[in-house]
Amino acid sequence: MELTDAGLIARVLADDDQHAFGELVRRHQSSVRGLLRQLTRTDIALADDLAQETFLRAYKNIRSFRGDARFSTWLYRIAYNCFREDARRRKELVGVDEERLQAEHDPRTVDPGLIHDLMHALSLLPLHERTAVVLCCQNGLSHDEAARVLDIPLGTVKTNVLRGREKLKRTLAAWGPN
Amino acid sequence: MIDDDTLDRQLREAAPYIDDEGFTARVMAKLPVARREPRWLRAMVLLGVTVLGSGVAYLLSGGGRFVREGMVQLSNFPIWLLLVFAFGCGLVIGAFAVIFAIRKTPEVRDLVGLRF
Repeated sequence: MELTDAGLIARVLADDDQHAFGELVRRHQSSVRGLLRQLTRTDIALADDLAQETFLRAYKNIRSFRGDARFSTWLYRIAYNCFREDARRRKELVGVDEERLQAEHDPRTVDPGLIHDLMHALSLLPLHERTAVVLCCQNGLSHDEAARVLDIPLGTVKTNVLRGREKLKRTLAAWGPN
Repeated sequence: MIDDDTLDRQLREAAPYIDDEGFTARVMAKLPVARREPRWLRAMVLLGVTVLGSGVAYLLSGGGRFVREGMVQLSNFPIWLLLVFAFGCGLVIGAFAVIFAIRKTPEVRDLVGLRF
C-alpha cells in the first residue's frame, strides 16, 4: 500500500529516512516546479533552481511542519518565499508594469491555440494576481490556504483571484476565434 | 465571456505534468548527510537506564521483599477483583495509546477535529 504524505513525513522525522523524503519530492516536484515556472515567467532554469532550494529547505525544516495544513500547501509557501527572496536579490520584485507588458505584446498576433493564449495571458498578469490565480484556480488551493501561502489577508487573495480571472476572461475574449 | 469554472478547468488543463527528468536525484544529491544517530543506541541507553533503575529499586527495597509480599497479597484477592483490576489497567493503557496515535496522525486529528 502506498504511504500517505503524513506517513512519509513520519519516517523522515523518526529515522531521517532520505528515501521517504525522495518519494515526497517525486510526488510534489511537478506542482512546485509548475508554480515556480509561472512565478518566474517560464524561466525554466531559474524555476528549477528555486524548486531545488524549496525542497532542500523543506528537508532541513521538516520538523517545523506540524500537519495543520497539507504538505503541498507548506511546500508552496516555502517555494513562494524562495521566489520572493530571489526576486529581492535580483531587485525584480516591483509591481509589474501591466501597460508596458501589454504594449510590448499585441495579443492579437499570438498563436490562436487556446492553451497557448491562456498561458500567455496568465504570464501577463501582475505578479500578485498571477500567483493567486495559479494557486487557487490552477493548483486547487482554497482562498484560505492561498492566504497562508502568500502571508496576506484572505480578502486580498479573493480580490486578486477575482481581478486575475476577469483579466484572463477579457484577454481570452479578445483573442477568441472570430 | 467564459465562466469561472470553465476558466479554472482550462487553467488546470493548461498546466502539464512536469516529468521528473532527474530533478529528484539532483535534490537528493544535495541533501545534507543524514544524521546517523542509530536507533539501537537510543534503545541501549533506555535499556541501560531501566536495568540500572530496577537494580537500585531492588537493592533499596530489601531484595524485592515488598514485591513478593505484594504478590502474596494479590493472590489472596478474589478472582473477580483481579479481573476488574486487569481490565481497568487495560483501559487506561488503551486510552493513552489512542491519544498518542491521534496526536501522531494528522489525518485522524483533522478528521475528528481535535487539536492537541
